[in-house]
Amino acid sequence: MLPIVLLSVFGIVVLFLGFSKSKNILLPATLLFLLVTLIANFVDWNHQYLYFNDMLWGNNASMVFSGIVLLSAFFVVALTRGFEQEGEAAQPAEYYGIMLFSLVGAIMMISYENLIILFVGVEILSVSIYILTGSDKRNLRSNEAALKYFLMGAFATGIMLFGMALMYGATGSFVISDISEIIGTRAWNEQSQLLYAGLLMLLVGLLFKVSAAPFHFWTPDVYDGAPTIFTAYMSTIVKTAGFAALYRLLAGSLASLQDYWFATLATITVLTLLAGNVTAVYQTSFKRMLAYSSISHAGYLLIALTSLTAKSQSSILFYSLAYSLSTVSAFGVLILVSQQQASNNYDAFNGLAKKNPFLAFVLAVSMLSLAGIPLTAGFMGKLFVFTDAAQKGTIWLLVVAILASAIGIYYYFRVLIAAYFKEGDLATIRIAPFYKVVLIIVTTLTIVLGLFPDLVLQLV
Amino acid sequence: MNLLSLLIFLPLFGAALVLFLPASQTKYFKWITLGFCAVELLAAAVVYHYFDLSNPSFQFVEQTDWITLSLGSLGAVSIDYLLGIDGISLPLVLLTGVVMLVGAVSSWQITSRQRAYFSLYLLLTASIMGCFLALDFFLFFLFFEFMLLPMYFLIGLWGGPRREYAAIKFFLYTLLGSVLILVVMIALYLSAFDPYSSLNAQTIVHTFDLRYLADGHNYLPNSLLNGLSAHQIMGLDARLFLFLVLFAGFAIKLPVVPFHTWLPDAHVEAPTPVSVVLAGVLLKIGGYGFIRIAYNIFPDAAAEYATLLGILGMVSIVYGGFNALAQSDLKKMIAYSSVSHMGFVLLGVASLTPEGLNGAVYQMVSHGVLSAMLFVVTGVLYDRTQNRQIEAYRGLAKPMPAYTTLTAICFFASLGLPGFSGFVGELFTLMGGFQSEFMPKWIATASTLGIVLAAAYFLWTLQRMFFGPLWTQKGVESLLADLTPREKIMLLPLAALTLVLGLFPHFIFDITSATITEFLKKFSLN
Amino acid sequence: MYSDFGQILLFIIVAIAIIGAILIANKIIRPNLPNEEKLTTYESGEDPVGNANVQFNARFYVVALVFVLFEVELLFLFPWATVFGRPELIAQTNGRWGWFALGEMLIFVGILSLGLAYAWVKGYLDWIRPEPKKPDYALKIPKDLYQKINQKYSTHR
Repeated sequence: MLPIVLLSVFGIVVLFLGFSKSKNILLPATLLFLLVTLIANFVDWNHQYLYFNDMLWGNNASMVFSGIVLLSAFFVVALTRGFEQEGEAAQPAEYYGIMLFSLVGAIMMISYENLIILFVGVEILSVSIYILTGSDKRNLRSNEAALKYFLMGAFATGIMLFGMALMYGATGSFVISDISEIIGTRAWNEQSQLLYAGLLMLLVGLLFKVSAAPFHFWTPDVYDGAPTIFTAYMSTIVKTAGFAALYRLLAGSLASLQDYWFATLATITVLTLLAGNVTAVYQTSFKRMLAYSSISHAGYLLIALTSLTAKSQSSILFYSLAYSLSTVSAFGVLILVSQQQASNNYDAFNGLAKKNPFLAFVLAVSMLSLAGIPLTAGFMGKLFVFTDAAQKGTIWLLVVAILASAIGIYYYFRVLIAAYFKEGDLATIRIAPFYKVVLIIVTTLTIVLGLFPDLVLQLV
Repeated sequence: MNLLSLLIFLPLFGAALVLFLPASQTKYFKWITLGFCAVELLAAAVVYHYFDLSNPSFQFVEQTDWITLSLGSLGAVSIDYLLGIDGISLPLVLLTGVVMLVGAVSSWQITSRQRAYFSLYLLLTASIMGCFLALDFFLFFLFFEFMLLPMYFLIGLWGGPRREYAAIKFFLYTLLGSVLILVVMIALYLSAFDPYSSLNAQTIVHTFDLRYLADGHNYLPNSLLNGLSAHQIMGLDARLFLFLVLFAGFAIKLPVVPFHTWLPDAHVEAPTPVSVVLAGVLLKIGGYGFIRIAYNIFPDAAAEYATLLGILGMVSIVYGGFNALAQSDLKKMIAYSSVSHMGFVLLGVASLTPEGLNGAVYQMVSHGVLSAMLFVVTGVLYDRTQNRQIEAYRGLAKPMPAYTTLTAICFFASLGLPGFSGFVGELFTLMGGFQSEFMPKWIATASTLGIVLAAAYFLWTLQRMFFGPLWTQKGVESLLADLTPREKIMLLPLAALTLVLGLFPHFIFDITSATITEFLKKFSLN
Repeated sequence: MYSDFGQILLFIIVAIAIIGAILIANKIIRPNLPNEEKLTTYESGEDPVGNANVQFNARFYVVALVFVLFEVELLFLFPWATVFGRPELIAQTNGRWGWFALGEMLIFVGILSLGLAYAWVKGYLDWIRPEPKKPDYALKIPKDLYQKINQKYSTHR
C-alpha cells in the first residue's frame, strides 16, 4: 500500500515542481522519489498482507514484481536526461508526473485481490501510456499511435470489464480467493457458462495489454510511433505488470480450471510466438523489430503461464526481469544512435563498433540476452520457461518455442552484423556520464543474473 | 587450483590480459596469445603425465556447487561446476592444445583489430577446453553454446567476402543443434535425480551430473525418461525420441550429411587460423558429444538405432567424398573431405565395438592434426596469391619444393596411406563396422568406397596443382615463394605428429582402451 | 428456472415491447399534417442557420472536463455526508470518527483543488489567453507631427 500512496503524492509533487524556474531539479527529484518508493516497497517483506478491506494483497513475490517494475522505471527515467532533446513543446514535469502515476496502476495490477482494483489499475496504467504515446505533439506518427492505442485499448478494457461482470454473475464475488473457493466446490463441467464467457473476455482484455497474438496489431505502430524513451517505458512496465496480473488471476482463482483454459492459452501462445518471431524477420527498422520482439517475448512468458507449474511464478518473474533489463539497454543505445543518425533503421548502426566500442558491447549483450545465448540473463529465463513446459509435459509447445528462438537469433543478430561487420561513418557519440553508468549497471546485471540466477530466485 | 580449472581459466586470463593492455602494446598481443597457448599445451601434457592409464573412471574430478534452485513441491535442482577427465576426453584435450597452438602461430598474419581477434581466440580456447572437461551437462551446454559467439565473430569480422552470410549460417545451424540438446537436457533433469544429495536433503534433488544421468537407476519411477515407463512422444518411445533429438543436435556439429551445409560455407569464408580451429577441434565436439552424452545416457536407444546411425555415417563418407571430388575451390574440397572423414567417426561410434570406438577417438585426433595441416597448406597458397581455385595453378613443385613436399605428405596421410595416422583411424573404424553385432556388414563395405574416393580427389588435386610444367595466371608467378620459417614451424611438427601417431598408434589407444572397455559394458548387457 | 440475469433480460424485453407499442400507437393515432415550419430542425425556437456539423472551440472540452471532475466530487460528497455525522459512530469512537471522516474528505477535496490550481496556473482556465501584441518597430516620423496634423484638422472644422 505504501508505494501506491507514495507514488501518488510524489506524482503531484513533481507536477508542481514543474512550475519552478530550474528544470534541472526534475530528473534528480523523480529518481529520488523512485528510489524512496523502491525501498518502501519492501517494508512488508516476509509478511503476507491484505489492505483496503481486502482489496489489495501482497507477499514476497508480488513485492519483487513491484520491485522489477520500479527498477525498470528507475532505469528508463534515468535515461530521459530531462527530455532536453524534445524542444520547448515538451512538458517534462508532466511526463515525469504521468510516469509516476502510471506506476500506481502497475502496482495495483500486480497486487490486486479484488477484480475492481485490477480494472482500476489497468485503466490508470493505460490512460497514462496513451498520453505518453502521443506526447510528441508535432509528430503525426506519434498522434496516430496514441489514437490507435487509445481506441483499441478502450475496446479491450470494455471487453475486460464485461468479463468481470460475467464472472461476478457466475460466482457472486469480485474477490480472487472467494472466486477460487466457489469454483473449487464444483466440478469443471458443472460450472456456469457465464464463468467461462467471463474468463475468456477477461483474458482477452489482459492479453491485449501484454500484446499477445491475435491481439497484437496495435503493438508495432504504437511502439514505432511513440517517442523512443516511452516505448522503452511501456515495453518493460506494461509487460511485467500485465503478466503479474495474468498470473495472479490464473493461479489465484482459476488454477482448478486449467483443463479448460489450457487449450485456449496454448493456442494463443503458439500464435504469439509465430506472429512475433516471423514478422520480426522482415523488419528494416530496429525499433519496429523490438516491437515484434516484445510480442515474441510475450509468447515465451505465456509458456510459463500456460504450463502453470509450482515454479511458473519464479520463471515469469525472472524472465520479466531479464527482458526488462535487456530492453532498457537496447533502447538506451537506440536513443543515442537515432539522435546521431536521425533514423531507427538497422543501417543507422553501421560501423558502431569502430568508434563506439562501449555502445556496441552494451548492444551486443542486450541482443544476446534477448536471443537467449548462455551466460546472459535471457538464457536462464528461457531455460526456466522451457522447464515449465517440460514439467507440464507439453513437448510440442516446447518444440515451437525452440524453433521460434532459433528464428530470433536471425533478427537479433542483424543489428550486431550492422554494428560490427558493416562499414559506416558513425562518429563518436558523446555519452553523458550518468547515462553511461546506467548502461553499465544494466549490462552488468544482465551478465551477473546469467551466471547466478539464484540471486533473484531465492527471494521468492 | 586444480589442473583442469587451470586449463579453462588460463586462456580466460589471457583474453582479459589482451583486452585490458593499452593499445601501445598491440605488437605483443600475438606473443601473449602464443605464450598462453603454449602453456596450455604444457598443462595438458602435465595432465597426461599424471593420468592413470589403467583407471577407466574420471580423474582429476573437481566439484563446486554453483546454482541451486528450489522447485517448490518438486524438490530442487542443483547445477555444479564439475570437471573431470577420462580416456575419451584426454586425447581430445591434448589435440586441442596442439591445434590451438598451431592456430596461434597461423594467426600471425592477422593485422586488423588485433586486440579483438586475440582476445576472442583465447576465449574460444577456454570454451573448447571447457566443453571437453565439463562433467555437468549444464556446464557442458554453457561452454558448447558460448563457443559459438567467439567463432561467429572470428568468421564474421576477419573472414572472406561472403563472411556475413557464412557467419550467420554457421550460427543458426549450430544454435539449432544446441537448442535441440537443450530440450533433451530439460527432459533429462526432470527425470533424473542425485541419489546422494537426495538422501541428505530429504527431498528430490534433480541433477545435471553426467555420471548420475548415465545410470538408469537414478531416474524417477514413471518419469518421462525412466527406461521402464512407457511414455510416448509422437508415436515413439520417449527415450528413443529424445535420443534422436540429441543425436540431431550433435550431428549438426559433427557434421553428418543432411546437416552439413554450414560447414563448406564457414570454411571457405573463415580466415586460415579459424578454419584450422574449426576443422581441427570444433567438429570433434560433435563426436565427443555422441560418446560422452548421447551414448552414455541412452545406451538402449543407441543400440536400437545403430543401423540407422551407421548408414548416416556411410552416407557422410561417400557423399562427402563425391562432393570433394567435384570442387574447384581447394578449401571447399578440404571442407568436404572433412565431412567424409568425420563420417568414419560416426561409423566407428555406431558400431559399438572396442575397435570402432577406439578407432573413432583415434580418427578424431588424427583428423584434427591432418585437417589443421590441410588448412594451413591452403592458407599458405592463399596468402601469396589470394586465389584458391585448383585450376589456377599447375606445376607448383618447381618454385615451391618444400611446400610441395609437405603438401604431398599431408595429402597422402589424409587419404589413408599406411604409416600415417589417417590409415589407422580409418582401418579401426571400418574394422569396428565389420565386427559389429548391431549393424549389417554392407554398411562397412560401402564405406570403404570413401577411401577410394579420398585417394581419387587428393591425388587428382596433387597432380593438377603441383605436377607438370609451371603455369599460373599472369603476374602470379613472382608471388610463388617457398615456405617461410613460420610456416615450416607450423607444418613440420604436424607432419611429424601424423607420422608418429601412424607408426605408434598405441599412444592414443593406451589412453582410450581402459575407459572404452568399461564404457562398452553398458551395451553388452542388452 | 431463470436466474437474476433472466430477470434483467425479461426487463429489457418488456421495456422494448412497451416503448415499441407506444410509438406504434402514436403513429396510428396522431394527425399527420406536415408543413415547412414543422419539418425544420428544432433549435429552441431559433431558425437553424448553416450546417449542424460545426467545430467547437477546443476550450469547451477543458472546461467540461474540469466540470465533470467537480461534479463527480459532489456525487462522492453525498454518501460521505450521510456517514460523516452519524451519532452512533461518533459515540463509538469517542468523537474521533467525525475528525477522521472530515480529514479524509479534506484530503480528497485538497487533491482536487491542487489539480484545479495546477490547471489554473498553467492557464488552461483562461477563455482567451491574453497575448497582447506590442508593435516593436520604431517610427521614423516624430509623434508631434501627427499631433500637429490632428490639431490642424480638428480646429479647422
